[in-house]
Amino acid sequence: MTLPILPTTVVGSYSMPGWLERLKTEYFARRISRHDLDEVHDTAVKAAIKDQEVAGLDIVTDGELRRDNLIDYFVERLPGVDIDRSSKKFYYDFYDSSVSAKLPMAPLGLADDFRFLRKFTEREAKFCVTGPHSLTKRIRNEFYPTEEALAMDIARVMNLELKELVKAGAKIIQIDEPYFSGFPDDISWGINALNALVEGVQATIAVHICYGNRYGKPSWEGSYRYLFPKILDAKIHQLTLEFARRGGEDLDVFKQLPAPFQLGVGVIDVKTQAVETPHVVAERIRKALEVVPAERMFILPDCGCFHLPRDVAFAKLCAMVEGTKIVRKELGK
Amino acid sequence: MILQLNHLQGKQAGASAQEVVSAVYSLLQDGHLDDSQFANLRVHLDWVQYRQNFREVVTVTPCVNHRGETSPLMEIHVDARQVVPCVLREQLLCAVAAARPAIHGESGRMQERIYLEEFSSFRNSIAWQFNKLYWHRLADWEKATGKGYEQALPGGKSDANHPEAIADCVADFWTLLRDLETKNQLPPEIFALEIGVGLGTRLQIWLDRFRDLDAERGTKYYSRVKFLLGDYSLATLDRSRPALRDHLDLCSFIVLDALDPGKTLSFLRHKILHVHLTNVYDNLPDEEFARRDGRLHLVQVRAYLPQSEAARIGKACDVPIREINATIRRLLDAGPEFLGDRARGVSFWQEVWSAVRLEERLIAVEDLPDVELPAGLNPTHLEEILDDAPSDFRFHMSSGALESFRNTLPLLHPRGFLQVQDIFVTSLQDYRLGFHGPGKLDGSIVNWVNGVLLREVGERAGYDVHFAPFRYREGSRTSILYTTQRE
Repeated sequence: MTLPILPTTVVGSYSMPGWLERLKTEYFARRISRHDLDEVHDTAVKAAIKDQEVAGLDIVTDGELRRDNLIDYFVERLPGVDIDRSSKKFYYDFYDSSVSAKLPMAPLGLADDFRFLRKFTEREAKFCVTGPHSLTKRIRNEFYPTEEALAMDIARVMNLELKELVKAGAKIIQIDEPYFSGFPDDISWGINALNALVEGVQATIAVHICYGNRYGKPSWEGSYRYLFPKILDAKIHQLTLEFARRGGEDLDVFKQLPAPFQLGVGVIDVKTQAVETPHVVAERIRKALEVVPAERMFILPDCGCFHLPRDVAFAKLCAMVEGTKIVRKELGK
Repeated sequence: MILQLNHLQGKQAGASAQEVVSAVYSLLQDGHLDDSQFANLRVHLDWVQYRQNFREVVTVTPCVNHRGETSPLMEIHVDARQVVPCVLREQLLCAVAAARPAIHGESGRMQERIYLEEFSSFRNSIAWQFNKLYWHRLADWEKATGKGYEQALPGGKSDANHPEAIADCVADFWTLLRDLETKNQLPPEIFALEIGVGLGTRLQIWLDRFRDLDAERGTKYYSRVKFLLGDYSLATLDRSRPALRDHLDLCSFIVLDALDPGKTLSFLRHKILHVHLTNVYDNLPDEEFARRDGRLHLVQVRAYLPQSEAARIGKACDVPIREINATIRRLLDAGPEFLGDRARGVSFWQEVWSAVRLEERLIAVEDLPDVELPAGLNPTHLEEILDDAPSDFRFHMSSGALESFRNTLPLLHPRGFLQVQDIFVTSLQDYRLGFHGPGKLDGSIVNWVNGVLLREVGERAGYDVHFAPFRYREGSRTSILYTTQRE
């Protein structure tokens, strides 16, 4: 599948509908069955795919609507991680989870979700997983000597799963590592774990790093300068980053990002419900083009659209696509 | 009949529950109440701590369904603090008579009352226009009373200015800055915001303390601080300037709407490290709901002047009684000087405010999604809260406070915190244990704030909300709300 120049995609999640939130909570209250919830998830995912297609995205995801948050979907699948299932008040809360013995190798079952996505779209498809650094920050470590050791073992287990995803047809896999920005001192071992995760995975690997999007607000502030120079050691193809909300203030930092590294540029602020116009989007892309050439640039929102109302998320994606078209036209592509 | 004691001040009550029950029985025996009314009657004994408030000593609250048809449910509220046993029966009779048109679905209005508005949610009541006038024309009010508004507070001074409480707040703020600096995350400009500035005394003490602490620790944060003072009254902002004369380089005085500070300060979204409010939430428009047998009712009000009071005020202020309603409207629109003589206008204003009362009725809520809820609180959230609440209680929706809270949070830096010093109800059970407003405090309204709903809205917006009793003054009813980032 050939992608146009400045391919458009989402970071991962799509708007979580209020009705789905209620049904997830109903499930935790044991008022609906797992079977019913799975059917609800299937329906919601199909709708999310359709919205992305209608908005005109070049690469779509499953909207991550099966996930309660960026952590629990993975920790409840990771073998050897103990979960206190009574620890949630609301579905979006994180489970209390811990690890008290070496993680065994076992499949996580993510490939089934990718196959479902593949079945319902003919567009290029991207699958997103939370990275070992972020998972380590939410799992209480009662066994490994260091956080790095836990992260490396999570990477070892999940590496197998990524290879399963490739076997299922995944060509683009995105690793989400939002906690990097909260713990910049961890960047060295965080990148080591990332490299272990993607070792031998035959797919385009993107890494998403933002300043957090929990409850639709940033969890940290700072500068992406902390990524350098260690990020250059990462065995990845693409970095997707949050720029729109911050006014592109860190863009210059990425002048040092050498080819063939690609930059996924956040041009939609997902932490406000104000919908950007296509012209605002186009201006943000033009600014990014001063740093990275169009051939190495992807166009995305700053982060997932999870917290936006559906109509707002859809309108923002439409504006993103239209704004990208303006710039493509200017580039003669 | 159900008798409900909504207070714990039994010993200080003006009449015993038995005396109230006996008086109600006598109305039944004398035919002023019929058997059906008696069977559906709820008598509430409240202990209203505000000497100035919006209630008669005895009031009757009828109930109508969502189609406006009278329902059999009827409530009698007795202020157990002010009731005098020997006139209780007479007051009950008057209250039942006053409510009779509503009880019987009649359109006629009682001659004994001059109504200032139609029934509506308290949030939309004219009472809030009086409150607004007070803050805009505070100097006129204070000149007439000869007292500053802080002197009207319990104890005669504001807990906002307690040096020890302020020192603790400053220490928390300094610790936050230090932590951010250690992580190389301290922004070059350190923004802080106080909404509702009073006389500027609190912020003066705060900045003095912060400057001293900063110098003592050699951290050089003070000069990087940009402190924003926000208030919806320019007059109040101007009054606060003298107190801050030593810190004016750091301060910006901004007229803003406490209900939506983001409208004015959107350019500081996610940038403010500390927001503080004292006694603001208790003075924002509010409405009440009552739950009866598990069913929700909106409390609607309409303001009125008792005819006798209107006549007295009209005579004293030389306003014909037929013009009193229009004169009040002009007062609220144009201020006290419209009467020609400002002093006379203020006198009229104060007399009317003292006399104004609120008549109430309960409107059954058919379906929760039909209720207009404050931003950040949706029907599902409210349903979940009510699942664990008493089946019979009356509570504040605290619409204004919730709106303000919800619209302030996006201004906070990811590591920033919001601190609110106010009177909070932190458990819904507490609504059954005491009266929580509204009352009158000088020319303003005072109303307790529903902390349970604030906690809910905070959690859904990514903040854990905590309440700590104000430990700096014995007997204080104030609590301090503070937020922490929710994981």
